[in-house]
Amino acid sequence: MSTTAIMAHMIPYFPDRELSYAAAHGLIDSKVDYLEVQFPFSDPSADGPTIEDACGRALASGFSTARGFEFVHTLVDRGAPPVFIMTYAGIAYASGVKEFCDLAKQSGAAGLIVPDLPYDYDEGLYEAGIAQGLAVVPVVAPSTTPERLAEVLRGRPEYVYAALRVGITGAATELGQDNLEFLDRVGASGAKVLAGFGIRSRDQVRMLSEHVHAVVVGSAFVKAISAAAEAAGPDEPAAAAEAVYSAVETLVSALRPD
Amino acid sequence: MPQHQYRAFKNTFGEFGGRYVAEVLRPPLDELEAAFIAAMNDPQYRAEFDSICTEYIGRPTPLLHARNTSREIGGAQLYIKLEGLANTGAHKINNAVGQALLAKRMGKTRIIAETGAGQHGVATAAICAKLGLECCIYMGEVDIARQKPNVFCMELYGAEVRPVSGGSRTLKDAVNEALRDWASSFANTHYLIGSALGPSPFPDMVREFQSVVGQETKAQLKAAGATPDALVACVGGGSNSIGFFSPYLESETPRLIGVEAGGRGMNTGEHAARMNGLGKTGIVQGYKSLFLLDDDGQVQATHSVSAGLDYPGIGPQLAHLGSIGRIEFTRATDTEALDALKLFARNEGVIFALESAHGGAAALKLAAELPPSATVVVNMSGRGDKDIFITAREIAPESWKRFLEQEVQTL
Ligand SMILES: Cc1ncc(COP(=O)(O)O)c(C=O)c1O
Repeated sequence: MSTTAIMAHMIPYFPDRELSYAAAHGLIDSKVDYLEVQFPFSDPSADGPTIEDACGRALASGFSTARGFEFVHTLVDRGAPPVFIMTYAGIAYASGVKEFCDLAKQSGAAGLIVPDLPYDYDEGLYEAGIAQGLAVVPVVAPSTTPERLAEVLRGRPEYVYAALRVGITGAATELGQDNLEFLDRVGASGAKVLAGFGIRSRDQVRMLSEHVHAVVVGSAFVKAISAAAEAAGPDEPAAAAEAVYSAVETLVSALRPD
Repeated sequence: MPQHQYRAFKNTFGEFGGRYVAEVLRPPLDELEAAFIAAMNDPQYRAEFDSICTEYIGRPTPLLHARNTSREIGGAQLYIKLEGLANTGAHKINNAVGQALLAKRMGKTRIIAETGAGQHGVATAAICAKLGLECCIYMGEVDIARQKPNVFCMELYGAEVRPVSGGSRTLKDAVNEALRDWASSFANTHYLIGSALGPSPFPDMVREFQSVVGQETKAQLKAAGATPDALVACVGGGSNSIGFFSPYLESETPRLIGVEAGGRGMNTGEHAARMNGLGKTGIVQGYKSLFLLDDDGQVQATHSVSAGLDYPGIGPQLAHLGSIGRIEFTRATDTEALDALKLFARNEGVIFALESAHGGAAALKLAAELPPSATVVVNMSGRGDKDIFITAREIAPESWKRFLEQEVQTL
């Protein structure tokens, strides 16, 4: 039985507060296995245009760090699967990295993903996260050297996020033998591998299923949410919420390999 | 270039600096650090740099004793380092040459860069043309609109200028876009960053390549029999200032004064000054430094009449030297910069770039407070040709408008 877990990525307050809650409810109700909640940053230099624009809109819709934690808290109360908060170093650092970990724990999050706080420039993230019982998830890429990968894995992280290619989020990924070998190398450490970047089809999920713990789908959800909200228009908020809710449900079932 | 054995640097300056990047960008930065150290210890590389400095950049650039201005203000003797006389019009070419030669040594065939005022883009495009490297320049749409002559030149040099439509559509967004490009292109591409900022090793590297400005100035002052009491330079990201100040960073004198963009007021979004308590410590674009941020760490809007100073962060070494008091920081407003530009044009026959005119304005103020026996040196990091569409509109709006209308008609 290949029941590859799905980690769905979303951005609170994108396209606005209500619709982001609707999207989250859709993801929870369609039983995705993990939620990755990205706290938007004004300068997301590792994200492609889809997520960059969505972050800009979320900030314009009133996102704040406090509201982000409130969002996570609300979802956890509603029975969300494990929530991983993803953000940039600048956001975690502004709260104080330790304080950010405390707030994440209080919100009920299971873990943190901060790609630009690598283990040797982590501002105390790993120590503070572990002290709080949070999973701090390092992010590696196919360009990561074997020496560096060994260092990343030395801390025995429970999860490792493996980017399926170099570059930024959003662009399509051609999965080949190289990717799978890379995933197997990461997984050999015993860490649960979360693999993402450019995943948008059931075939890709199927292809990865033997090699990863979970497949992360990001830009595809952002696009689905955005398209549904746009089609519904701004005048009928209730209808828009329903449209967003069912758009994410549709995408989840389109990704499920069974 | 200094001939001392180049030592490995520490990657941080006090609490600032660092290499805060996702793992994907670690290999190119690690590779760059190793290649840079090897190059700095290779006499052949240094000789090549020095030879391009003389035969192409036109080094040494002159040091002008601004006698008319010194007499008029009745204060200190004012000297102007005419760095804007460097080929392509600004100090930016020193760093562009250093890094482009390094990229070639590393076997890279393509160069990407960000640009604000366009001076760094022009310098990069020019040296890429000369060295036969493919060149792609990222530039915010706002900056493309206000620095059109430079866009034209970059294209003439054969570079592709890619407009950046994200965020505030200025320099910081061009940096983001270059980082995005580099994250997938580093196998054959070097990111030729234009100021003394970004993840290490960039701040160290850019300072080293710009230190030629300070070294020349020091020698020229000595030849003129002058001992500097203060050095003044404008500060965007900090490349011209750190290079200009570099011979004096370890000593207690002269006073080193960095001038930030005071814009049109001190409210958020009206200026680009990060020192003197205005910026917060943060991590943005791969380095820790002082940035204009809100309480959540989101980067705030900035304004300056000069595109090159319109950036929310300051190079980490400058932030550090500011925090320990070695460098003093002040600001000049848009209006003060324009006034200084007019004054130097009329008194000295020299047109400052708008960025450099911020330094000029502060130097005039300081010189007026000092006795005639004192010596103040300002770095004119660039010349003002590129700014004509801004300065003409500000200084002579009516005749400029008429001229433009005529131009449109004849087209
Ligand atoms: C002429 C000139 N001076 C100064 C600057 C500011 O940069 P930095 O602080 O790195 O010297 C620029 C940037 O574009 C420039 O073109």
